[in-house]
Amino acid sequence: MNLVLTLQSLISGIMMGAVYALLGIGFSLTWGVMNVINVSHATFGLLAAFVSYSLFTALGIDPVASMFITIPALFGVALLVYRFLIDPISKAKAVIVSSMILTFGIAIIIENLILLVWGADPRLLTTSYTNKVFSIGPLYFQYPRLVGFGMAVVGVTAIQFFLKKTLTGKAVRAAWQQPEASQLCGINLKRISMITFGLAVASSGAGGVGMAMLYSFEPHSHNLWLIYLFLVVIVGGVGNILGAAFGGLLIGIITGLSMAFLPYQWVNLLTFGLLMLILIFKPQGLFQSEV
Amino acid sequence: MLDSRRLIKVVGKLLGIVLMLLMAFSISDAAEKPILIGGSLPLTGQYAETGQWIERGMKFWAKEINEKGGLLGRPVEFKIYDDESNVNKAVTFAEKAITVDKVDLLFGGYPGTAARAVMPVAEKHKFVYVSMGGHMKSFEQGYSYSFGGPPLMGEWWYEGFFQWLETIPADQRPKKAAVYTMNNPIGASLMESITKWTKKLGIQIVVDEKYNLPLPDATPLIVKAKQMDCDLLFSNGVFPDGVMTVRAAKALEYNPKAIVQGIGSVLPAWSKELGPDGDYVFSGTSLHNKLNFPGNEKLNEFVKKEYQIDGYPLYFGFGYAWMQTLAQAVEGAKTLEQTKIRDWLKANKVNTIAGPMKFDTKGLPDPINFCTQVINGKAELVWPPEVRTTKPVYPKPAWK
Repeated sequence: MNLVLTLQSLISGIMMGAVYALLGIGFSLTWGVMNVINVSHATFGLLAAFVSYSLFTALGIDPVASMFITIPALFGVALLVYRFLIDPISKAKAVIVSSMILTFGIAIIIENLILLVWGADPRLLTTSYTNKVFSIGPLYFQYPRLVGFGMAVVGVTAIQFFLKKTLTGKAVRAAWQQPEASQLCGINLKRISMITFGLAVASSGAGGVGMAMLYSFEPHSHNLWLIYLFLVVIVGGVGNILGAAFGGLLIGIITGLSMAFLPYQWVNLLTFGLLMLILIFKPQGLFQSEV
Repeated sequence: MLDSRRLIKVVGKLLGIVLMLLMAFSISDAAEKPILIGGSLPLTGQYAETGQWIERGMKFWAKEINEKGGLLGRPVEFKIYDDESNVNKAVTFAEKAITVDKVDLLFGGYPGTAARAVMPVAEKHKFVYVSMGGHMKSFEQGYSYSFGGPPLMGEWWYEGFFQWLETIPADQRPKKAAVYTMNNPIGASLMESITKWTKKLGIQIVVDEKYNLPLPDATPLIVKAKQMDCDLLFSNGVFPDGVMTVRAAKALEYNPKAIVQGIGSVLPAWSKELGPDGDYVFSGTSLHNKLNFPGNEKLNEFVKKEYQIDGYPLYFGFGYAWMQTLAQAVEGAKTLEQTKIRDWLKANKVNTIAGPMKFDTKGLPDPINFCTQVINGKAELVWPPEVRTTKPVYPKPAWK
């Protein structure tokens, strides 16, 4: 066994998986709490990536710092989207299907907006630390991946803290577990759903910037990112934040290790094979839904 | 009685005048009716950047030819559908352009997978189709209406690079190659020349891996190449995996003598986004803005003025060149009859910004062997010597 290749692939896979997780937690939250499969989740993340790119190239604002602008902005946009688009369909019989169709439309609108503003050219987020690395023996740690990993740890911890330790977060969990009883206790379901949606979309902003640090991105990149979202949520379990984090890491590790040991053509086969197996044997995901 | 005879004569004359007027109007209408050129391009989706440049090149050609009085004395007009980078939609739109829109001419699409799928449609309807084609296999299907004018051939893509490498003294050439190839027909078409030439030049292929797009991570690829002491790296992919590979090579301080990349490094975004890290990467092409053929200067001036770019982007040139080929065939055949246009193309030479081309029975010109290297942020022509814009940099300097 080639130890250096294995460890380097593992490190790389963990860092990559953490960013998938960061992008996936909000998607898991809206699906789990609101029964809304927000197909535009990755598109909001992509929009944040483009805004961060412009803030960096035009004003020199570091992508991490730019999240102090993009995340609140996305939260505001999400509240409006919820109020005027999501809420009206929330009483539909088939909320899941309706939400998928509606948010698919939102994704197309955002993609075309990006195309209009930024054009079709592929972009790269190249910061002062993009090419920086530090090494421990023969192993390299790339700064952008470390930054992405750090963002993921902070993001997952913050959302988990919010859900478990704050009153609003507890209300979100109550609304998810017992919607009727929570209303009887005075919880405003609509307001809670709006906050949940806002929070989820805002988290996609951090995920989008994390993805942009790993990959080149262009107006259609959200389609590919959406596949990772489904992978993360299906592996980790719908509505489970730590599950989503674990799902992301697992996908990263499997990808990294399979690239170390198997022909590269097998990587997707293995990843999606895992998805199939989970859908067959643990359709609720590896973790119980437990917002 | 006499009155009625005179009346008949007058009515007859009037009818004659009306008929003549109608004929005159219809003739003038036909003379002024634009020639409709239809098809689809990927204006959104994965290949949108390239598709939009092709469209710009085609529209520049149309503007130019309309200012000169049009094609066969008629203005030209495009009916361009957006196939959203979807091959199936490209086929549907080609069918629609021919059967519903009744276009007079068909224009070439992108990428090769779409062009390859449209070729049988063009053949079925007997429509001349000038495009990049879908690499060699697509031109070996016995189609007689398809022409690569100029084509984009994976099989020829690295010919120029290897011909140049052969001129390097044997002891200075790379000894071991790592070859990473996207697992699709374009990637497969690139392998032919790599296998043939590495054997001829005594370069050992020690890593030969195919990956499915999208490539999730390039780090393991570079670790393997570095561990195996490969001093020649082939990254046979497109833009996203190409930049990821270059970034990983820099991060892991992997310094081969040469990096050869598929079709990402010829895009303007390569140097714009990668900056100096994108330098010294070799690739191939069948067209270049610094080729000394008539028309290139004019195109360069246009993109400089319109888009503030030094040298037209490759696919802007392709869009223009395909229309040049088609237009010369129409002018040469003096008709819009497709079979006559095809026959003219089979028998005559066309002069385009890619150079003069004469097509063989497959619809291909003589093999093209241009090699490029990105130097100071520009894809320079480094081979063959007669078109060279600068000398190649070899071995590649270490990462800064």
